[in-house]
This record gives sequence, C-alpha cells and structure tokens, in this order.
Amino acid sequence: MTVYIIRRLLYTIPIVFGVLLVTFLLFNVVAGDVTDQIAGKAASAETREEIRAEYGWDKPMFFAWDSQFFNHLKNAVTFDFGRSWSDRELIIDKVKRGAGPSLSLTIPMFLGTLIISISLALIVAFLRGHIVDVVVVLLCVAGMSIPFLSFILFGQYFLAFKWDIFPVFFWPDLSPAHYVLLPALIGIVAGLGGNLRFYRTVMLDEIRNDYVRTAFAKGLSVRRVLFRHVLKNAMIPIITQVVLAIPFLFLGSLLLERFFGIPGLGYLMIEAIGARDFQVISAMTYIGAILFVVFNLITDICYCLVDPRITFE
Amino acid sequence: MGFALKLLSTAFTIVLLLVAGCDNSGPVVDSNEVVSYGALSAKVRGLDPGDIGDTTSSAVASQIFECLYQYNYLKRPYKLITQLAQDMPQVSDDGLTYTIRIKKGVYFADDHCFEGGNGRELKADDFIFAWKRIANIKYLSKNWWIFDGRIVGLDEFREYTKTCKSRAEVDYSRPVEGLTARDDHTLVIKLKKPWSQITYLLAHLPTAPIAKEAVDYYGKDIINHPVGTGPFKLKLWHRGSYIELVRNPDFRGEVYPCEGAAGDLENGYLADAGRRIPMIDRVVLVLVQEDPPRWFLFLQGKIETSGIPKDNFNEAIDQKGVLTADMRKRNIHLRIFRDPSTYWLGFNMEDDVLGRNKPLREAISCAVDREKYIELFTNNRGEVAYGFIPPLMKAYDPQIKQMTKGTYNPEKARQLVKQAEAVYGGKLPRLTLSMAGTDVVARQAGQFYRRCFKNAGLDIQIDYMDWPTFQNKIKTKSAQFFSLGWIADYPDAENFLQLFYSKNASPGPNNFNYSNPEFDKIYEQIAVMPDSPERTELYRKAERIVVEDCPAVFLLHGVAYVLHHDWVHNYKPHAFGYGLTKYRRIDTAKRAAYKELLRASR
Repeated sequence: MTVYIIRRLLYTIPIVFGVLLVTFLLFNVVAGDVTDQIAGKAASAETREEIRAEYGWDKPMFFAWDSQFFNHLKNAVTFDFGRSWSDRELIIDKVKRGAGPSLSLTIPMFLGTLIISISLALIVAFLRGHIVDVVVVLLCVAGMSIPFLSFILFGQYFLAFKWDIFPVFFWPDLSPAHYVLLPALIGIVAGLGGNLRFYRTVMLDEIRNDYVRTAFAKGLSVRRVLFRHVLKNAMIPIITQVVLAIPFLFLGSLLLERFFGIPGLGYLMIEAIGARDFQVISAMTYIGAILFVVFNLITDICYCLVDPRITFE
Repeated sequence: MGFALKLLSTAFTIVLLLVAGCDNSGPVVDSNEVVSYGALSAKVRGLDPGDIGDTTSSAVASQIFECLYQYNYLKRPYKLITQLAQDMPQVSDDGLTYTIRIKKGVYFADDHCFEGGNGRELKADDFIFAWKRIANIKYLSKNWWIFDGRIVGLDEFREYTKTCKSRAEVDYSRPVEGLTARDDHTLVIKLKKPWSQITYLLAHLPTAPIAKEAVDYYGKDIINHPVGTGPFKLKLWHRGSYIELVRNPDFRGEVYPCEGAAGDLENGYLADAGRRIPMIDRVVLVLVQEDPPRWFLFLQGKIETSGIPKDNFNEAIDQKGVLTADMRKRNIHLRIFRDPSTYWLGFNMEDDVLGRNKPLREAISCAVDREKYIELFTNNRGEVAYGFIPPLMKAYDPQIKQMTKGTYNPEKARQLVKQAEAVYGGKLPRLTLSMAGTDVVARQAGQFYRRCFKNAGLDIQIDYMDWPTFQNKIKTKSAQFFSLGWIADYPDAENFLQLFYSKNASPGPNNFNYSNPEFDKIYEQIAVMPDSPERTELYRKAERIVVEDCPAVFLLHGVAYVLHHDWVHNYKPHAFGYGLTKYRRIDTAKRAAYKELLRASR
C-alpha cells in the first residue's frame, strides 16, 4: 500500500506541472497585459514599466533562472503566491481567510444533500414503479431543470424577505449558523434532484442483484437489507461521487456566497475573475488541482477499504 | 418549525465551529451606542489614501482621513471651506506660491505605530511626506496625475526615485523646492505655473496627510491600517465582508454647519446647526454586491440608504415620478440630485474611417435616440446631453442645445450617411462599437444602438467585452468607437476639458485622441487662469469647438435617485463630498418604530 501511495504521489508531479504550465500560458501569455489596470488613469510609460518590474513581468517568459515561469513554479511549490494586484493583499491570506466561510457553507450543504439523497434513493429504489417513485423522479427532473439562480432568488425573497424566517444576508451581529442556514438549505434543495437521481440509479442496479432476493427470502427486515447490504455494496460509485466532491467544497459556491455575503473562496474567485486578477485565479486553480489529485488518491484507497476484491496492484 | 430550525441551527453551529473554525462572535453591541448601518456595492480595495483610485475605498477612507479643504456640506453651488487648513490659502500675486496655515491641536488617531500608542500632532511635514510618497515611482500610486508637472522640484524627486532600487531606499528627507514647511503649521507650495484647481485637489482624498511612522511601521500592510485625523477610525475590517468604524475620541472639534442653501432651514437640514460632529458612534458597512439582497435589506430597515435598482424602480417610484404609496407608508424619503457626469459614444479620431469623416460621425450622432435610451436604460434618471459639461457645473452652457448639430434626427442621419459615403469614396465599411460589459443590460443597450444605427442605414457591429479588455483597447487606441463616460472629480469644467486636450491622448485621459490646435490653445490659456467670468466664457467656447468637431455622441448627464429611511437626519446629497457620515444623525426611536411597523404589517 505504501509503495502504491508513493507511486501515485509521484504521478501527481507531472499532472501538477501540467496544470501550472497551462495556467501560466493562459494567464501570462494568452490573457494579455493588466499593467494599465494597475496603473490607473493617466499613467506614464515609466509607471507602467515600474509596475511590470514590481510584479516581475519584465523578466523573460521561459528559459532563464529568474524567468516568469520559473518564479511561477517556485511560488507554487512554496505556496507564496505574492500579492493580488487588485488590492495588494497577500493571496495566501485571502485563501486562508476564505476557506473557513466556504467550508461553513459547503460542508452542511454537502452532508445534507448526501444524507437526504442517499436515504431517499434507497426508499424510491425499493419502491420503484410505485407512485412515490414516479413523483420523486418527476420532482428530481423539475429540480434539475430550474436554474440555480432561481432557487436563490426564490429562497431569498420568500423565506428571508417576505416571511422573515431566515436572515436575507450575512450580518455582522449574527452568528455564522444563522446566516449560513438559508444558503445551505437552498444548496441542499437545488442539489437534491441530480444527486437523488444518480443514487437511485446506483441503488436500482444493486437492488436487482440475487443477494437482495436471498436476504429477503431469509426473512431479513427491509431496513436491514437496504442499509446493511444494499448500501454497503453500492459504496463504490458513492465513494467516487463523494470523495471527488470534497475538493470543490474548499472552493466554495460562487453564486450562494455572492448572494448571501459569505466571504468565502467562491466569492474570492468571482471577484478575481471580474477584476482579471490572474494571480488569484492562478493560485486558486493550482490549489484546486492539488486538492483534486490528493482526493483522487484517497478515493482509490477507499475503494480497497470497502471492497476487499480491489488490490493495490 | 421552530424546533426544527433550532435543531438545524445548532447542528450547523457545531459543524462550523469544529470544521471551519469560524469566529462565532459578532460585534459587541452597546445599547446606548448610535450605530449607522450601510451597504457597500463594491469591495474596498485598500485604505491607503495615496493609492486609492476607486469610489468605494474613497467613501470609507474619507471617514478616517482628512484633507486641507472640504466642501461645504449644505451650500450650493459647491464651495470649498477649510478642513485641516486654518484658512483658505494665501496666494502670491503671480499665482505661483500658496501658503497654507494648518490647524493646531489636530492629532492622528492613537495607533501602535506611534510611541506609546498615542497619536501625535499633525504637522506640515505630514503633507509633504504624503505627496512625496505619491511622487515616489516605487510606490506605484495611481494618483501621480494630481501632481505631475505641477510643483517645483517634485518631478525631479520622482526622477530621483527611479534611481532607487526599492521603495525602502527612497530618502524622503531629500528636499523638494516647491514643498516646504515654514514651521510645523505652515505649508508653502511653489507651482511651476498657475493652477487654480489646486484647492479642489487639496480637498481630494489622495492629498490627505500621512504619518511617516505608520508607513514605516506597517510597510506594505499600510493598506489595512489607516491612521488618520478624521472623525472615525477603523475598528474591524473583515476583508470582502464588512467594515466597522468607531468614533475617533481624539477628533478635533468640528461642528455642524450653521448656514446652508436656500430651503435648507425648511427641509430641516439646519436642525443640528452648531452641534458637535460626528453624531454617530459606530458605522457598520456591509459589502452587498447584488441588487436583490441590498434592496431587501433596505426595505427591512437593516441599512439606511439605498439607490433604486433598475428592476425595483416601479416599486419605489410611480408614474408621476414620486414615491409610491408603499414607500410613503414606510416613511422612506427620496432625494434626487444631478450627477457631475456625462456619458457618450466616443470616436477614436485616429481611426482611418471615423477620424476623417465628420459627416459619418454626425450621422451616428443623429441616429441615436437619447430620450428613448434614457427611458429604457435609466428609468428616466438622466438628462439628454448636448455637450460634455454637465448642467451641475457653473460653466454649463444653456445655449449648447442650439449649437449642436448632432441631435436625434433619423432623416438627417440618413442624408449624412450619403455625404459620409461621398467623403469615404464608396460604401462605408462595417464599423465596430466597443462596449464594456457582457451582461444582459449591456447587450440590451447594444441591441438598442444597432436598431438606431440600422434606421439610419449604418452597418455597425457591437463588440462586448469585460472592463479590463475594454480599457486595454481604449488605451492602445484599438477601439474604433466606444461607450464610456466621465464623472467629474471636482466642480470645475476643466476636469472635462482635459479629456479633449491633444497632449492627453491615449493612454492618457483623451480617449478620443482628439486634436484641435484652437481647442488646445484655449485649454492652455484657461489652465492657468483663476476662476472668472472670462474663464467661464472660454470653457464654453472650448466646448463649442469640440461639439462642432463631433468626436463623440454625447448621450446623457446622470441624475441620481437616493432613498433613505426617516430615522436618518441631515441626508443632503452631495455630488463631490465623500466623508459625509459625520454630518448624519440617527434617530434610534424612529428606527425601532420602523421595525414595529414591519412586524405589524406581517
């Protein structure tokens, strides 16, 4: 297992290098110069030169020890992403500060969606063809067809503004639990459709197997068959879905964070895109890639833990 | 429902505290404190006045920092009065030397950067340091344009900073001939040539004094640690979320103005005359970038003031242009005021097709239905522009409407297109209008323009792009014609005239790359003239020259609509002032009554 993990970790090096190369090419070569934006109105050519020197954009692109690409690699390895050009704040400080609020929204959202959708999927899979199953599938399709923004606007207008059940927006006097409640609820409801359909399909594949009939024939209760046997055997696709979703939890939710004032990484990302703050976007992409690669490895390890037939070959 | 919510809330709190490590404590609320709540529609980028270039950061920093001068809060037309200066500047006969006495007994707010943590007295050297800092090229200030080529020796100081390897290496004790402190409370400024607008710039936030101790202590993190002399000081800044300011206990004694403009007494603006300001203990500003939540927060009484989002306009304003019954029931007040702004479709005069073809430019100008545009895209919050000087300015020319040939007239536009084809020597090529913004509203505006141009027989395509790309296109002279505007920095039409001066061509502020020797001559003449009827007449003459040459389709001058709750007193709109919270008064009993009103109406 250790050898396997080391080997997989070594595989991540070219992947991460590839991500760094692509982000560098995208943001430093293709996207163009942002010096004018930093310089402000009526800036002279000299000021622009100074800005280029300050951010290292006057150095050779590649093929030199202090080239822009080499510095890009060095910064990534040391997690020293420098300062954002839009507000001159250290990028790593932004990331550290945003991770907490993002997770405070995405973890409840993720857990809520997961628990509700798996539980419901088991029930509707067991009741396949029943009116309950048909209604749930219809609702799932309807839920998937409604734009995410509509859920936000509807929830914010009715649940927060009109009926005053939740706060409309982040407010300094409130504890995070209060203002995160509604966006998390909206996230759960909006995410149920797709997840429930996916897990229902997984459960249906599993529930049709012979061992399920055998279990019922032996007189086991429905709850025991579903939650003890079917759920356990359906773990491989569930693990794939769940573990690979975790990196995205760190990256937050772009729309929910913006509409509810949660100062997380999703908000940071949307701001950076709007301001063409490439250094922030590049840093976030890199962090996202690292998380994705690590959680991919964790997924593979989990496969072996839940299914003894899979080996670390 | 209540139990379920409680359960969920508790569960979330546990998850948050365990996993996210969030701070569960909001600001400590003292029931006797008078707190003002507001919303910021854009992120505060930094609170270092020398490098501030956006309105949101200026609005916050202006509560913390002060300048030599400020605008009288109530009087109209806008008039400068003293702030940190003892009196208005003494100007030498040749208009080149400004002697400014600085108020005694003004202290920087207490901060760790000072010895013992106690703020020290403001000195003339603090202004000199702040301005040299803007001149320091290593500091990369956005505000060098203020001083560029103005003060004796300051350009040379900037040259010197170019020879330094880093910003830390710059020696601020190096003398600048045009910036001297006669004593701790007298500042002498020597100009290269007369510059009558200097007093307006001395009321502009970037010229606020800075304590060198703060810059040395905080280094690059000075953006997070504002140390000023103003009525408030920063208590908490949760970047990207909210800012909390508290009353500066060491603020110099300033009182609410005792005189105002006509009607101010009747409107209650003088009720607090002579009262010590600020009248608010704490200011909480929450970042709310989307319109729907900001509007809901306003109606819930969480924030005190709000603009009117385009989609909520009919909810707030009725057909007659006054507040709707619902707004009146809520005791919401509407303030309407003119913006010092002009919006246009600018032509790149260096473009081969447009620059050499005046009939074509005039055809485009005649094709655009301004009134319809104002109705569709601003809910009638605008006035048709015939020139570039807004009606708010003293130099506004009431005759400009008669002078302009480019008013909306589709028939005339079609005739001008024929003339333009004759000038071009054949069928006109397809033209490209560059527009900043890729959202729905930008595309709707683009469709509107296309329809206008099509009616006139013009083939124009619209190129939508994000703001940075747009800016880059303008600065590199690669846009053929573009949608843009200008909001004046100060109430002097010179601020608009500089946009047409040939030496300011892109990447400078003259985005039209317009050049007319006659205009340039007048601009150079008025740039050194003090305010006078002759100068006003020259402003108008210069504007007529531009209008005649048609380097832009002048579209509209902005009109702002602002709503505020009745518990906010002394809310008088101001087109140029930023740090105005100090004048406001909050009636907490009325605020509580509004909450009751909401509760009763549910």
